[in-house]
Amino acid sequence: MARRGRILRYFSYALLLAVAALAVFALELDLRVRNEFEGRRFALPARIYARPLELHAGLRIPQADVEDELRDLGYRDVQRDDQAGWFQRKGDELDIAVRPFIFWDGAQPARRVRVAFAEGRITELRDAEGKELPLARLEPLPIGGIYPAGNEDRVLVRLGDVPKHLVDALIATEDRKFFSHMGFDPRALVRAAASIFSGRMQGGSTITQQLVKNFFLTPERTLRRKFTELVMAVLLEAHYGKHEILETYLNEIYLGQDRDRAIHGIGLGAQFYFGKEAKDLTLAESALLIAMVKGPAVYDPRRHAPRALERRNFVLRETKDQGFVTLEQYTVARASPLGVSPRPVMGTSPYPAFVQLVHRQLRRDYDEKDLRSEGLRIFTSFDPRAQGAAERALAKRIAQYDKERRFGQPGLEGAVVVTDTQSGEVQALVGGRDARYRGYNRAVDATRPVGSLLKPAIYLTALSEPARYTLITPIDDGPFLWKSRGAPDWEPQNYDKKFHGMVPLRTALAQSYNAATARLGTEIGVDKVLANVKKLGVERELRPFASTLLGAAEMSPLEVAQMYQTIAAGGFRSPLRAIREVTTQEGRPLARYPLKVEQAFAPEPIVLITSALQGVVREGTAQSLKSFLPAEIAAAGKTGTTDEQRDAWFAGFTGDRLAVVWLGYDDNRAARLSGAAAALPVWGDLMAALVPEPLALAQPDGIEQVWIDPQTNLRGDSQCAGALELPFAQGSAPRERSPCATVAGAVVDTVDTTVKKAKSWWERVFGR
Amino acid sequence: MGTRIRSIAILLLLLAGCATAPEPGPAPAPVEQAPPPYLGPRESVAVAGLLESARADAAAGRLPTAAASLERALRIEPRNPRLWQELARVRLQQGDYAQAESTAARSNSWAGSDSALRAENQRIIEDARAARR
Repeated sequence: MARRGRILRYFSYALLLAVAALAVFALELDLRVRNEFEGRRFALPARIYARPLELHAGLRIPQADVEDELRDLGYRDVQRDDQAGWFQRKGDELDIAVRPFIFWDGAQPARRVRVAFAEGRITELRDAEGKELPLARLEPLPIGGIYPAGNEDRVLVRLGDVPKHLVDALIATEDRKFFSHMGFDPRALVRAAASIFSGRMQGGSTITQQLVKNFFLTPERTLRRKFTELVMAVLLEAHYGKHEILETYLNEIYLGQDRDRAIHGIGLGAQFYFGKEAKDLTLAESALLIAMVKGPAVYDPRRHAPRALERRNFVLRETKDQGFVTLEQYTVARASPLGVSPRPVMGTSPYPAFVQLVHRQLRRDYDEKDLRSEGLRIFTSFDPRAQGAAERALAKRIAQYDKERRFGQPGLEGAVVVTDTQSGEVQALVGGRDARYRGYNRAVDATRPVGSLLKPAIYLTALSEPARYTLITPIDDGPFLWKSRGAPDWEPQNYDKKFHGMVPLRTALAQSYNAATARLGTEIGVDKVLANVKKLGVERELRPFASTLLGAAEMSPLEVAQMYQTIAAGGFRSPLRAIREVTTQEGRPLARYPLKVEQAFAPEPIVLITSALQGVVREGTAQSLKSFLPAEIAAAGKTGTTDEQRDAWFAGFTGDRLAVVWLGYDDNRAARLSGAAAALPVWGDLMAALVPEPLALAQPDGIEQVWIDPQTNLRGDSQCAGALELPFAQGSAPRERSPCATVAGAVVDTVDTTVKKAKSWWERVFGR
Repeated sequence: MGTRIRSIAILLLLLAGCATAPEPGPAPAPVEQAPPPYLGPRESVAVAGLLESARADAAAGRLPTAAASLERALRIEPRNPRLWQELARVRLQQGDYAQAESTAARSNSWAGSDSALRAENQRIIEDARAARR
């Protein structure tokens, strides 16, 4: 009797222990379920947008470029009066149904606009009634994001925004008893268990179980895992309502892969496969998305269309068989094609170099964690047209050089930076020969010797003292020896290995004479020059040696761009920036990065150096630009070639854009590169594709334009042989007249000046 | 077009010289025709609209929005001195005196011979300097 009692006691202890263990297990799972469920709902990537294209009468943009932008935005060329997001081409006109969008400065509603083009510009902009519109802003193109772990991307939807037929299709196919079970379906489980024996493993998982499955990182399919998932599903149902679970499921399901970007949730799925919002999905489209739940790679409609179609139709059939849709609806849906939109492969971003710059600038103001989870909307100055032109130009030339082997072995690398001359906004960034590669961003991180690119700083310093130096001051391009205690003797050579004697200052820059420049630099003082380099916006400390003047200094293409930016902006320095505004996910404004200017130089020396840089293009080392741009553009620029031709640079600007191009090898090998031969064609191609604005020199009060007779370096007139009209600081131009100057010449020039002044007044008052 | 105007103008000048009693002497000093008084540049419709809304926002104290509209306008007409001046005024109102001064200087660089505009820029610069003291 006693023994039986003892066995019973031990048995009940064991049972108690087992129950306790189970309880602890369950509690642990419970905590886990709640943590995961709460946490999962909020990790949204930050979305990065390009600049919005602002249409207005007078804008210089070819019609084809606007159409490209619309297509990239996912606009279809099918007119749908009840929806936005389409455009129709009618000859030289575009009829656009612009989508609504929440900008930093508020919500912009959907609207219809009619745009007329002629000769590469917009001539008219009207609304649907035909009334003239001053401005029409398109929504900005998304160009990338900052993603949470695993590069998961999603667009959140509320259950209320999801079409009923999508939910119906889901229930019908994946979990018929969703609304009645408590997390798992016993009968489905039994069926699944049986199926192991029959050889055809069926899922048997409810929607809740599938959701729980996503909480785990590793896809184990053991019995123990299945049991854990089951318990967790029950716990989930205990804590959260059916609608919450369903909504989370719809935002969580994995629907495919876009290179390195994982597509999660039907909100993003609708965008990715159909270019529309989830609430606009048709029955057939919803069925396709549900069909992919079972296996988005296997049933990828773009890669395995017949298989996807078959499964979609299976889903449709189930939906009909369970009474969610009528026979008629089913028939119509079944007959429709897959309807998947052609979508360019984007990955996390097709523009990794620019996105990296944005990310870096954001890290200064935002927590990394917040950037990856709060769904911030980042509005940038990115210009897809400028980027496209830069990428194509670089790729084309590198491919050509690789083939020709004119410049060392194949495998040449490069970088391009494009900015707006007046605002310092970065419009395009190419980080390497493969623009899509997300890795080493040479535009921002490759510091290379800049060679002659630093010379304009020397000449700018000289020209700031007009009593000593003007554009025509003769300087000595003779052999130059720099002796300095503790440093080896320095005797710079010219590119053509010749010395040219006394040359006008502007010629020494145009031809990039090293001897003359070194002498000039040391005469003025290396410290003065470096101080100006700093004022131009270069923050890096440069070594105060004479050799720095000829470009032993190392900088990145972005830093070079900053330096030339200050010149292009008339002496006003603006820090290069890529971000304009940041809002929350809902569109509430968070931050704005305003335009900042600082007057670093008086306008007069800037006008002089700009004129000298135009000389580089007109008659100097960048002459070959003639074959890319018409003379009226009057671009300014500087070629740069470094020691043993390891680097080829070109930095230059037109009226509206500035660009810096670098070419070289990552391992720094000697490459026989020359700035003019290798980098300039990239710059030329890129600018020519963007229809540049002519560069017009400013005319500040302290500058006068004077005709010079180059034979005598004296004041002449336009009728002198080889005469040049050059800017001078007031009072610094030669007073003495050259013998070639005549009265008739003086009259002609006076009339000319008057006509010019009248024309510019006319233009100011009456417009073009 | 330039050379034709030039030739006609020269012809007219010579004729004018013949018409009046010619006085022997050295060549007359070149006469500079000062441009007529400033009437205001004609802004494009787009920019005019943005400028107007910026002014309204600034008057209502919505300064960041005003600045944003002006920057949008500057992307369309970067050489318009009135836009830069308006931006300088907004910076002044925002208390960013360093930027107010620089932006007014930027406006001056495009102002040409417009003395009224320049004078206004000078006032903004002086206000900014005074505020910083």
